[in-house]
Amino acid sequence: MSTPAPPPSPAPDTAKRRIPLDVVDAQGNSFYVSERKVYPRDVAGTLNRLRVAAVWWLLGMYYVFPWLKWDDRQAVLFDLPARKFYVFGLVFWPQDFLLLAVLLIIAAMALFFFTALAGRLWCGYACPQTVWTEVFLWMERWTEGDRSARIKLDAAPWSANKVMRKGGKHVLWALFALWTGFTFVGFFTPILDLGARLWPFAWGGWETFWVFFYALATWGFAGFLREQVCKYMCPYARFQSAMFDRNTLIIAYDPMRGEPRGPRKRGLGSVLERARGLLDQVTAYDYVVRANAHPSAADQRLGAHGTITFAGAGAVIEPLPKFVPDQLGDCIDCTICVQVCPTGIDIRNGLQYECIACGACIDACDDVMDKMGYPKGLIRYTTQNAIDGKPSKVLRPRIFVYGTILLALVAAWGWGVFNRDVLIAEVLRDRNALYREVAGDQVENSYTLKLVNKDQQSHRYRVTLASGQPGIRLRDGELTVQAAPEEVLSLPVTATAPATLRGRHAVTFTVRDVDTGTGKTVESSYFGPMQ
Amino acid sequence: MTDFTEPRLDHPPRPLAQRIGAVLWPSFFAAGVATMVFFAFVDPLTLRDMTFPDLAISRELGYTLGFFMFWLATSASSLFTWILLRPASRFNRALPPD
Repeated sequence: MSTPAPPPSPAPDTAKRRIPLDVVDAQGNSFYVSERKVYPRDVAGTLNRLRVAAVWWLLGMYYVFPWLKWDDRQAVLFDLPARKFYVFGLVFWPQDFLLLAVLLIIAAMALFFFTALAGRLWCGYACPQTVWTEVFLWMERWTEGDRSARIKLDAAPWSANKVMRKGGKHVLWALFALWTGFTFVGFFTPILDLGARLWPFAWGGWETFWVFFYALATWGFAGFLREQVCKYMCPYARFQSAMFDRNTLIIAYDPMRGEPRGPRKRGLGSVLERARGLLDQVTAYDYVVRANAHPSAADQRLGAHGTITFAGAGAVIEPLPKFVPDQLGDCIDCTICVQVCPTGIDIRNGLQYECIACGACIDACDDVMDKMGYPKGLIRYTTQNAIDGKPSKVLRPRIFVYGTILLALVAAWGWGVFNRDVLIAEVLRDRNALYREVAGDQVENSYTLKLVNKDQQSHRYRVTLASGQPGIRLRDGELTVQAAPEEVLSLPVTATAPATLRGRHAVTFTVRDVDTGTGKTVESSYFGPMQ
Repeated sequence: MTDFTEPRLDHPPRPLAQRIGAVLWPSFFAAGVATMVFFAFVDPLTLRDMTFPDLAISRELGYTLGFFMFWLATSASSLFTWILLRPASRFNRALPPD
């Protein structure tokens, strides 16, 4: 790379229609522009209320759960040192790993099912990235003001006011992030104890590390990276096309109704009430493509970050003619749908992987339609089929397949959780010696019997040995042991047989609960002298 | 403030051999290094005794399994990187017809 190629000279109309790009390397060697900050405009409406409710509910669970009690212990505690997870009344052991695996498969299948049905609900309402970003935006709004105030503040030179506002924001962010990190560690270490050891400070090294690491991650992801996580780091967005079809609920702009877009004087009615009516599809989508290639001055200032490419390389897209008011569609090109978008795209360009389906543009556009006296729903939750004037089918094979698998997995998981064995019994042979000769012409084999009482009550167990070969018996006779709740017992046991018994013989250990009569059998081997 | 960058060029798809090679080769290399470092400290037989003492796993089989598990992990990571680096135009397409 000794002689970098000169940057391709932009096509004449490209230079005209795009705002100047912020090139990182001012020498012109770079094809990369720095990411422009998105300043989401505040929005109010049904979907926004739904999202705020989701934020309160989900973050409420996160911040409150560690403080709840269940029988003298923390209700939700992932006790890693003890290798036990407590979730309300349930206790999970390492042996329940399969349940965790199935739970993850259920989560994936639920994602497929709900995505096929109603699009990226997860992204818009439930993803931690969305939820925490929303809260960080609230704090930004309290300290720096609304969208235009924030843009102005960023552009303004440093002043006492700017330092106060920016400083206040970062103090709020930092406190909230630290509390988030503290709560996170509180899921793994009893949170009351952790709080008590804050002053005087007596946290362990790893507790301290994770509080600050999680706080740093929250601060960085929700404060700075924001929509870039969705656009550049999240795999889900890139797989959406595998789950979407034309009957999936998406957030869509209706170009047949909206195009051609443009400002107009008050008094022009909606196309739904005018002679013009809806455009045909071909014309409408052609107008969208051409409007995107030749944006209005307002659109150009916003520079929507959309990466959609409609035409193949080299295709020439003609600018739109000037329309008389009567030809105009219902989109007044106010660009508010772009201003409210947290990922900075223009939804009018159609379905894009950057769209996190938060519905902010729906709320914003409905508001504008109201002000214009037009019916709502120029941008709405709908299906591609409905937009194109075809019937939508909710019940389709994909839904049945995902739904059936999901139901079966949930049922199996629920059954598995409530029908777990409360006893684990394992037998390990002594690894040092196959057998040991003792006085009196006897041979002994040593085993370690591991009993785990996973129950919340104590149990008594009786251990017996059986074999198809007579003569093999437990040296110390039947063994009866008491296991406290959640106790792991490691019991040395010895089997013995006359030295005349040679070679390998199968033996069976039986562990029986004295009170309930239920039990487990474990297969193992007995070895006599080989020759 | 953030200096993340977005490419302006919509790069045409690369040849299949290049795509497969760019995923499998770096991950193979990383898996090889990881296997060497890991088994320099861990004896597969000790590992077997700690985990699946009933299975007859020899040292050679342990090394082999270890290598392929590392390769599975590293190649999955490489594949993920490849998906994230694909240009947006590969994803932003019209929904397929019914």
